[in-house]
Amino acid sequence: MHADNTKHVVEKWVERLGTGRDQLLPLLHAVQDEIGFIDDATVRALAASLNLSRADVHGVVTFYHDFRRRPAGRHVVKLCRAESCQARGGARIEAAAARRLGVAMGATRSDGQVSLEPVFCLGLCAIGPNALVDGRPIARVDEAALEAIAQAVAA
Amino acid sequence: MGFTRETDHGTLPALATGANVTLTIDGEHVTLPEGTSIMRAASLTGTAIPKLCASDNLESFGSCRLCLVEVEGRNGYPASCTTPIAEGMVVRTQTERLKELRRGVMELYISDHPLDCLTCAANGDCELQNQAGAVGLRDVRYGYDGATNMGQPKDQSNPYFDFDPSKCIVCSRCVRACDEVQGTFALTIEGLGFGSKVAASQDDAFLASECVSCGACVQACPTASLIEKKVVETGTPDRSVITTCAYCGVGCTFRAEMRGEELVRMVPWKDGKANHGHSCVKGRFAWGYAQHKERILHPMIRTSITEPWREVSWDEAIVHTASEFRRIQEKYGRLAVGGITSSRCTNEETFLVQKLVRQGFGNNNVDTCARVCHSPTGYGLKTTFGTSAGTQDFDSVMQSDVILVIGANPTDAHPVFGSRMKQRLRQGAKLIVIDPRRTDLVRSPHVEAEHHLPLRPGTNVAMLTAMAHVIVTEELYDEAFIRERCDWDEFQDWADFVSEAARSPEAIEPLTGVRAEDVRGAARLYATGGNGAIYYGLGVTEHSQGSSTVMAIANLAMATGNIGREGVGVNPLRGQNNVQGACDMGSFPHEFSGYRHVSDDATRAMFEAAWGVKLDHEPGLRIPNMLDAATDGTFKALFIQGEDILQSDPNTHHVAAGLAAMECVVVQDLFLNETANYAHVFLPGSTFLEKDGTFTNAERRIQRVRKVMAPLNGQADWEIVQLVANAMGLGWSYSHPSEIMDEIAALTPTFAGVHYDRLDAEGSLQWPANDAAPGGTPTMHIDGFARGKGKFIVTDYIPTDEKTGPRFPLLLTTGRILSHYNVGAQTRRTANTAWHPEDRLEIHPADAENRGIKDGDWVGLKSRAGETTLRAQITERVAPGVVYTTFHHPDTQANVITTDYSDWATNCPEYKVTAVQVGLSNGPSDWQEDYADHARQSRRIAPLEAAE
Amino acid sequence: MAMEDEEGVMSTGERLIYMANQIARNLASEGGERSAEMVADHIRSFWDPSMRQRIVALAADRPNALSPIAAAAVRRIAAA
Repeated sequence: MHADNTKHVVEKWVERLGTGRDQLLPLLHAVQDEIGFIDDATVRALAASLNLSRADVHGVVTFYHDFRRRPAGRHVVKLCRAESCQARGGARIEAAAARRLGVAMGATRSDGQVSLEPVFCLGLCAIGPNALVDGRPIARVDEAALEAIAQAVAA
Repeated sequence: MGFTRETDHGTLPALATGANVTLTIDGEHVTLPEGTSIMRAASLTGTAIPKLCASDNLESFGSCRLCLVEVEGRNGYPASCTTPIAEGMVVRTQTERLKELRRGVMELYISDHPLDCLTCAANGDCELQNQAGAVGLRDVRYGYDGATNMGQPKDQSNPYFDFDPSKCIVCSRCVRACDEVQGTFALTIEGLGFGSKVAASQDDAFLASECVSCGACVQACPTASLIEKKVVETGTPDRSVITTCAYCGVGCTFRAEMRGEELVRMVPWKDGKANHGHSCVKGRFAWGYAQHKERILHPMIRTSITEPWREVSWDEAIVHTASEFRRIQEKYGRLAVGGITSSRCTNEETFLVQKLVRQGFGNNNVDTCARVCHSPTGYGLKTTFGTSAGTQDFDSVMQSDVILVIGANPTDAHPVFGSRMKQRLRQGAKLIVIDPRRTDLVRSPHVEAEHHLPLRPGTNVAMLTAMAHVIVTEELYDEAFIRERCDWDEFQDWADFVSEAARSPEAIEPLTGVRAEDVRGAARLYATGGNGAIYYGLGVTEHSQGSSTVMAIANLAMATGNIGREGVGVNPLRGQNNVQGACDMGSFPHEFSGYRHVSDDATRAMFEAAWGVKLDHEPGLRIPNMLDAATDGTFKALFIQGEDILQSDPNTHHVAAGLAAMECVVVQDLFLNETANYAHVFLPGSTFLEKDGTFTNAERRIQRVRKVMAPLNGQADWEIVQLVANAMGLGWSYSHPSEIMDEIAALTPTFAGVHYDRLDAEGSLQWPANDAAPGGTPTMHIDGFARGKGKFIVTDYIPTDEKTGPRFPLLLTTGRILSHYNVGAQTRRTANTAWHPEDRLEIHPADAENRGIKDGDWVGLKSRAGETTLRAQITERVAPGVVYTTFHHPDTQANVITTDYSDWATNCPEYKVTAVQVGLSNGPSDWQEDYADHARQSRRIAPLEAAE
Repeated sequence: MAMEDEEGVMSTGERLIYMANQIARNLASEGGERSAEMVADHIRSFWDPSMRQRIVALAADRPNALSPIAAAAVRRIAAA
C-alpha cells in the first residue's frame, strides 16, 4: 500500500519536472520534501520513470547524506562537523547533544521525536559551533543553547 | 612455454583523426595519433606505467592516482591516463618523486586490504599484487587498527562468480564495464569516501539484481574481489587456446584458459573481431555441459524405439548404420533416405554430411535447421541482391545513424551485438523497433526507441509496404542510387505498387493496430536520418510470408540507398553459431556449397569430377517433406547430426509421426535429446572444445574452433561421419579438418582463399575470400550487387491462413531469453538453470483478468494443432490479444501448439503466428504426460553384459 | 484452402495443393502467364521429383483444388 502511494508521489513530480536524467536530483528533493525520505520503492519508481537503472539511482541517493533512507524524527537537529566548527569545540558539543537529547549521532530516537544528523559547513565559520534546527540556523552553540534546543524539540 | 596475459594499454585507442603527434617519453621519441593518452603511448612503446583503475576497454577515469607522470613545463603530477599526448611534450614516467608518490598511494590501498596473498584465488593473477611490486612497496606504516573495509560477507549468489567486498579497492572498473561495455548499468558505487562500496542494483545480491551475468565486471576486476568460482576451486591456468563460441551467431572469440586438460575459464579475446573482448553469460560461463553426467559417451543401438538402448562398440554401430541405409535403399529406392546437417557443428563436419548424402546416398535429400529459421533470408537476399547472407560486419553499427530492428531481440538473443548496438545508441543514433512485444530495446535503462511499432503478428509485409508507401509518395527515395545500381523500370513497377492508397499507413492501421502517424514517422526517419541499417531476425522469417518480408526489407534498403558502405545494410541476425556456415556448405536440398543450384551442369560436373560419382541434378526433400514422405511410407531412414527436430520443429505430432514411420533413425548428438526417443542408432558426438574446425558467424566471418581437450566420446564429429562414409565404401581419408577446408576451397569460388594457415595468420576471414577479394569482404555490394543490379520485388500482403476466431481468439508468438539457448540442450545442463527454470506464458493483464488468471497460475495453451500447459506471467510487454512464450524446455512442448503453416518459398514454419486459447488448467496436458512417459521409457539404457 | 478447425495435420496431398496455391498467390502480382511461369520455375527448383509427380497427378484428380495460376503452372511442369 505504501509503495503505491510512493509511486503516485513520484509520478506527480515527474509530471511536473520532467523525465530527463538531469531531473533526478530535483525529483529526489521534491519527493523527500513531501514524503520525508527516499525508500526502495521510490528508487524503483524514479528509475522506471527516468529510464535509469536502479543501480544508477541508488548510487546517487546513497552518495548524498541529505537523502534520508528512513523517516526522520518529528524534529531534525543538524550539527556542523566541518573544520572550523571542530576547531571551536564542535566535538564536545556533539557529545553533549547526544547525551542531552538521548539519541546517537546519525540516528533517530526510538520514540520518533528527534533525529540528530551531521552537516558539513553552514557558512557561519567565524561563529561556530553551528547547528541547524528544523531548518533554522543557530550559531555559537554552547550548553545553554543546547538546553534551549532540547526544549524546542520536546514539543 | 609460460602463460601470457594480454597487454592492457590502459585507455581506449584515440578516435582516428588522421593527425599524428610526436613526443618524448623517457628520452625516446614516440609518434602516435593525437588523442592518445600518455599512458597508452607509453604502453605501446614498451613502458608500463603503474595503473589500477585504467583498462583499455573503458574510458579513462583518473581515480587510482598511481599512473602519475612528470611533464616538463607543467606543474604537479598529472595522471597519464587522462592526459592526451601533445606535440613536443616531454614526459618522464619514473623519477624519485613519482616513486614516492606511487608508493604512498599504494600504501594507502594496502592499509585497507587483506594480506592473504598466498591463499587468495588471485595469487599470481592479481593486478594489485603486481602494482605493489612495481612501485616497490615495502611496508604499511598505518597499521591495521581502527575501522577497515575488511571482514565483509561475500556475495556468492551468482552461480559462476563470487563478489568479496573485502578485497575491493573501489577502482570502479566493474561499474564502468557494466555501463560502457555491457550497457546494463547494474552496478554502482554506494555511499562515498571511506564508506564507498560496490553495490549491485540497490545493494541486492548479484543474482537478484539487474545483473545479467555477462562477466565483464569479473574480467575487469584487478583483484580477487570479483572472481570466477572455477578459479577459486582450481587455481590459475597455465595455457590458453583461442577458439570460437558454440552458442549464437555472434561468434565471440575466446581464450580458453586451461590447466592441463581442465578448462579453468573462458575469457573473451580482445582481438576477436566479432566481440572485441566481450561476451555473454552463455559463452563465458555455460560450458559445463561438456562434462554433464547426462552426456552419452558410447554408441548405442536398438531394433525398436520401445526397447531400451544397448551400448555397442563403434565398429558395430557404424557397420550397422551403413548396412541399414544400404538395405533400405535397396528395398525402398535411392530416394528413401536422407540426412540433416547441424548448424552447431563445424563447416567441415557439415560439408562431410552433405557429401555423405550426395556422394554416398546418391541423392539430394539433405537439409538443415536453417530451414526453420533463416531459409527465407537465403531466398530473399539471393533474389534481391544475389547473396544469401547479410551485407555488413558487426562493427558497421558504430557508423549507423538510424537503426531499424524488426522481428529481433538482440539484447536477449545476440547479447554481445546488442551491447554494441546500445553503445551506438548511447552515442546518439536513433532506434526504430518493429515488434509485437515491448522488448528491452524499446525501453530499458539508457536506451529508448524513437519509434516502437507494436504490430499484430502476421502483418510484417503490410507494415513494410506502408513504410515504402511513405518513402515513395513523399519522394524520400535515393534516385541516383537506384538509377545506378538497380533496374529503374523494376523500381517504377514497385513504386507504383507501393504508392496505391490501399498500401498507405492509414489504410493498414486497422490491420496492424499501429497508428499511421507512427509508421510515417518511422519511415521518414529511416529514409532521411543518415546511415540507415536494418537488423532482423526470426520475427521476420518465421512467417507464411517470411521470404516476402526479407525482400520487402531489401526493397527499403535499395530505395533509400542504404547499401554498399559501413553503417547501413541489411543484417540478418543468424541464430546459431554455424547456421550461416551450414547454409554456405550446401546443406540445402537444392544447392551445393556456395549456393549453386544442383541443376547447374558446370557446378555439378566439378563435384562429380572431385568425388568420382554421378550426382543427382534434381532438388531433394526438405525436412517437412521428408516427414510427409515418411508418413506416406516412401522415406525410411534419416541421419541426423546435432539437431533436435522433435523439440525445435513445428507441429510436434507431425514430426513424431514421421520419425515413428521410419526404419532407421540415426542421431549423432551429445545427449539423448527428444528426437533420440525415436532413434535406432545413437552416435555420441563431441563438443566444440573437443575438435578442430571452423564456424561462420552472422557476419560471414569464418573463425577457427580449436581443440582444447581430448573428446570424451573418443572421436570428433567429422571422424564419425568419415567412419560411416567408409563403411559405405566411399574411401575418405581426411586426417585433419584443414584438409576438408582445402577441399571446400577448391570446390567453392567464394571460399577459394580460405585455408587454415591464413585463418591462423589473420584470425578470421569474411567470405567471399578469393582472388577477387584477397582480404575477405567485410562490406558487400560496394560497387555493385552480387547479382549485378539490385532487384526490386513487389511484395503483396497476403494474410496468413492462421486466423483467430471465437475458439482461438489470441495470437501466440515465440522467442528466446538471454540465459538459455535454443532448445536448451546445453544451457539446461549448466548452472544457467538458476535463471528461467521453466518457460512461462506472457499474457496481458486484460486478457488474464477476463480468464481469471493470476501470475504464476497453470494455464492450458491450446491451438488447432494441440495443447500444452505452462505457468502464466502477467505483463504489459505484450499487447492485448497477443501471448508469448519461449521454447527452451522440452516439457513445455511449445511446438505441439505451432501449426503446419510455413513460408511460401522455403517452408520456414510460421512459428510466430498461432491462434490460441488460454484458460486455467489443473496440470500437464494428456499429451505432455504421455510424452513424458514415452521419453522416460525411451531413455532407458540396458546395463552392459558382464565384461568380456 | 485453410486447415479445418479440428484437424492438426494436412495429408501430404493436401499439403502439396496448399503449397502450390500459396506459391501462386505470392507470385500473382506479375499476372497470368508470367506468374504461372514463375510458379513453375519455383516448383522445378525446389520440389523433388516425387512431389512434382504427385502434384501433377493431384491436378488431374482434383481439377478444382488448384487456383488458375497454380493449375497453369502445374500444366507447364507436366509438359516439361
